[in-house]
Amino acid sequence: MVTVEYESVKKAYGETIAIEDIDLEVDDGEFTILLGPSGCGKTTTLRCLAGLTEPTSGTITLDGHDVTNVHPKNRNIAMVFQNFALYPHMTVRENIGYPLKVADVGKEERENRIEQVAETLEIPELLDRDIANLSGGQQQRVALGRAIIRRPAVFLMDEPLANLDAKLKISMRSRIKVLQREMDITTLYVTHDQEEAMSLGDKLVVMDKGHIQQIGTPDEVYHQPVNQFVAGFIGSPSMNFVEVSHSDGQIQAENAPEDFDVTLDDAVVKRYSGTDEMTLGVRPQYFSIHTEETANAVEAEVEVTEPQGDEQIVEVAAGDVSLTVVAPSTIDTTRGDTVWLTLEDELVHGFDPETGDRIGDPEEMVATTRASSSAGSQS
Amino acid sequence: MTTKQDTSVDAMPYTEPSGLEKIHERLTETGLTKAGVYGALALFLVWTLFPVYWLVTATLKTRETLLSFPPQWIPLDAQFGNYARLFAERPEFVTFITNSVIVTVVTTIVATTIGAMAAYAFVTFDYPYNLDFHLPFYILSTRFMPPIVTIIPLFVIFRGFGLVNTLRGLILVYTMFNIPFAVWMMKGFFEEVPESLIESAMIDGHTHLGAFFKIVLPLVKPGLIASAIFTTIITWNELLFAVILAQSSQAITVPVGLASFVTKFSVQWINMSVAATIALAPVLLFAFMARQQLVRGFSMGAVGK
Repeated sequence: MVTVEYESVKKAYGETIAIEDIDLEVDDGEFTILLGPSGCGKTTTLRCLAGLTEPTSGTITLDGHDVTNVHPKNRNIAMVFQNFALYPHMTVRENIGYPLKVADVGKEERENRIEQVAETLEIPELLDRDIANLSGGQQQRVALGRAIIRRPAVFLMDEPLANLDAKLKISMRSRIKVLQREMDITTLYVTHDQEEAMSLGDKLVVMDKGHIQQIGTPDEVYHQPVNQFVAGFIGSPSMNFVEVSHSDGQIQAENAPEDFDVTLDDAVVKRYSGTDEMTLGVRPQYFSIHTEETANAVEAEVEVTEPQGDEQIVEVAAGDVSLTVVAPSTIDTTRGDTVWLTLEDELVHGFDPETGDRIGDPEEMVATTRASSSAGSQS
Repeated sequence: MTTKQDTSVDAMPYTEPSGLEKIHERLTETGLTKAGVYGALALFLVWTLFPVYWLVTATLKTRETLLSFPPQWIPLDAQFGNYARLFAERPEFVTFITNSVIVTVVTTIVATTIGAMAAYAFVTFDYPYNLDFHLPFYILSTRFMPPIVTIIPLFVIFRGFGLVNTLRGLILVYTMFNIPFAVWMMKGFFEEVPESLIESAMIDGHTHLGAFFKIVLPLVKPGLIASAIFTTIITWNELLFAVILAQSSQAITVPVGLASFVTKFSVQWINMSVAATIALAPVLLFAFMARQQLVRGFSMGAVGK
């Protein structure tokens, strides 16, 4: 049983604050993803747990033991680096077995464990090759092998798939997930790729500007983003944001009140009662596109269409407001066409234009720490 | 809201090769470029190797055949006895060689070790006030002035400490002069070792020092060898400081010994050639044995990705 706990962890480099107010609990065996744009502090958060970066303040505990100032070698952790960090002067076998060698494990047992790990990762034929002669995917597996051979208490991964091509990325992604489930090891995984995060994690920790924005399951951060940052960062293509004025359910875009003028469902209107102005957030998937004039719809002109096979991404302009819409590929439109967009009312979000916080249904909101705009940034 | 854009292409769809490019192409086609390159290389080889050839063959000639005109290109009657005669006439030359070996070996080991450790520290650690940037520059700046500038003050200081005419004194000066070179050479190598390798080694159970010895040092071996060879060559050949700081035979090194063949009254050509050949041998041999590491050392791609 290994749990990880961060308690108000902060790291500053002089005046620059890399991370601040990091409070996070990771349960035993949980696959937790630290997600955010580059410079948001996710890697710093991970490195503090590895012992490679010393926090300025706060404590980090492993199973209740304070490890904040413990040397990395004395924490039972394993880490996979973005560039794999394989030792170039050793063979694959020596690389995988290295943590055991340093720990003075006998040669015979070491060999057995190396063979076992190589079997698990399906690379026994590579064992006596030089690191320089391996492809990216093979190097990735060797790096994984070196990490799992010691049965670590916690598994840390810093963008392990970032250097792989798209196809390999997807196959390695499922391999990592299977491995983590089988070994049942508490894992912290850093990525800037929200799709990777959604598909791997039990728990997502969305970060920005050195602060945690939201902690929740992939579903929670997707469907109940606590603020505009999380809403815009999660989901592909990104959520559309429109500055609107609101009165009694009637929503008008401030830049294009005539083109963008719709009335929301009564059930949805309740959420926004008492709000005159807000930022409306609509995911591209939650528009329906019509080629015939439709009531209670946004009228827009098609700028460009990007076919994706089954569906297409349509960029449209309603007056001065640009919108991205995902539509089935059966809809036949082309640049210059006029289309009508209806909204799936219950799936839209309203955000406070000042703070960016989501408006309405606070009981659904997940525990969160809000960003303070004074925070610096550091990757 | 879209405005119609001008869609005509700005320039020609391709660019004519310039006059020089055309000449180059023509030369390449006719093979003249290749011939030119080989010709230049051949000339360069003659330029660098002929003096060495002339020196070595001189050791096998008599004074008469050496100075004869037209010159004797190949020594017909090889005088191997010249080698024995040097040591018979100038037995102190053995001491000079011993002195040079001691000074060179100690200087190389000390300067390379200190240089490598300093370079690693500058590359890896952050020092206050940006010292990890300023200190290496300061170290390098000690080599900016012409060495002759420091000789008189050094002589006075060394005399005060009893270091004139001692091997210790020479080793001290040479180490001081070689450290900047070793630091800067090794800095380049350490910078190429990704930090994540050291971090990975620490997570795998090493201390920082353990990671340095087990992971970093093996990776920068070509750099260590290259800077050791350089230090050796510079120290072995150094004349200026040795002439001033070592005047009695207990501390005289080979280059000073070589200079002593030129006297007011004559130049001992044959003895000097023999001595010079002996002086040349160890460095050449050392460099030849380590040539693979040396080339890797200079191409700097030692660590790779």
